[in-house]
Amino acid sequence: MNRRAPLALAAGLTAALALAGCSSASSASSSSSDSSANPSANAPQLKVSGGYMPRPVGDLAAGFLVVTNSGGAADKLTSVTSDISDDITIHSTENQKMRKVKSFDIPADGELNLARGGNHIMFMGLKQQPEQGQKVGIELHFEKADPIKVELPVKEINYNPAQR
Amino acid sequence: MRTKTVTSRKKTVASAAALVAALALTLTACGGGSDDSTKPIADVSAQPKTQAATVLDTPFKKPNLVLKDTKGESYDFREATKGKPTLIYFGYTNCPDVCPTTISNIAIARKSLPKADQDKLQVVFVTTDPERDTSAELGKWLASAGDPSFVGLTGDFPTIQAGARQLGIGIDAPKKEKDGTVVSMHGAQVIAFSPKTDGGYVLYGEDASSDDYAKDLPKLIKGETP
Repeated sequence: MNRRAPLALAAGLTAALALAGCSSASSASSSSSDSSANPSANAPQLKVSGGYMPRPVGDLAAGFLVVTNSGGAADKLTSVTSDISDDITIHSTENQKMRKVKSFDIPADGELNLARGGNHIMFMGLKQQPEQGQKVGIELHFEKADPIKVELPVKEINYNPAQR
Repeated sequence: MRTKTVTSRKKTVASAAALVAALALTLTACGGGSDDSTKPIADVSAQPKTQAATVLDTPFKKPNLVLKDTKGESYDFREATKGKPTLIYFGYTNCPDVCPTTISNIAIARKSLPKADQDKLQVVFVTTDPERDTSAELGKWLASAGDPSFVGLTGDFPTIQAGARQLGIGIDAPKKEKDGTVVSMHGAQVIAFSPKTDGGYVLYGEDASSDDYAKDLPKLIKGETP
C-alpha cells in the first residue's frame, strides 16, 4: 500500500493516482478566483466513476469507486445504502487494519478515491451472492450534495484497475 | 550459523534494514518538495516496477506453529512443510479486500503450474482472528477465495502472534470497538520458503499480482531466487 504511491509516481501513471496519493487542498485555488461569478463554484459538483465490487467471498463484500468534485466547495461521503445489504459501512485501512469511519472528505476541486488496499465501502450480511458480471446498485449519500445512484459491476476477486 | 547469538543478530539487522527501507518508501510517498530528494527516490526508481519479490539476505527460520487445520486436526507447520516449497500468509476471513485478493492471486498463479508442481506447493493461510475464524469457516472461505487445497490454520491467538513475530510480521489481537465492530489486521507480506533450505527467503507485499506470482512460482518451487 505504501509502496504503491512512489511506484506509481516513478512509473508515471495517471495524474489521478498521483493526486490520490498526495492530493491536498492546494489545488482548490484554481477555481476560487472566479467563484463570485459562478455560483456553482460554491457548491460541490460530484461525479462518480470507476466503481466496482470484487466478487464477494462469503457474505461480505467491498466496493471501490472514485468521487470527483469539480465544484468549489468540499463535501463528505457520509453513508451508502443498497438493497443487497442492510449493514453497509465505510472503512479506512491503515497499517493492515481497517476501521469504520463516519465520513470521507471530498475536497473542493479534488477527489475521493476508494481503492484497493485503502479506503473502501464494506457490505456485511449480503442478502444475495452477486456473481461476476452482474451489477449491484448502490446509493451514495453526501453531507451537502444530493444522493447519487451508482451500479457497481461485479469483477473477479482479485480485480485491481491500478494493476492493468 | 556458528552460534545462536550471531544468527539472531543477523536476523535483527536484516529486519531492521527492511523496516528502514519500508519507512523510506513511506516517506517518499508524499515527499514532495523539500530536502529529501537525494536518496530514497533513487532507490525506488532503480527497482524495476515488475519486481514484486524482495529476496532476503538472511532468510527467516520456519516459525514454530502448531495449530488446527480446516478439518480441526493438529497441524505442525515445520513438520508438514519440511522440504516443500511453501507460501505463508496471515489474514482473516472478515477482510473484504486484501486477504481474499492475496489468496486469489496465489490460487490463480498456482493453476498456471504443471500439475506436479501444483501438488508440491504448500499454501498456508493463518488466521489473525481465530475467535471468528473457526476451522470450518476457514475451510469454506479458502475454497471460495482460493483453492480447497490451501491449508487454513486457527488456534490460540498468542501462538499465532508468536509465529508471525518469528517472521517479522507484527499482528495485533482483534479489538472490539465501542460500537461493537471488531478491528482485525492482516499481515503485510506473503513469505516464501525454499524446499532446499526450508528458509523463508522471499517476501511479497500486498501489491503483488497474480502475474507476479505466476512468474516467480516455477523458481520458488525449485528453491531458486526469483
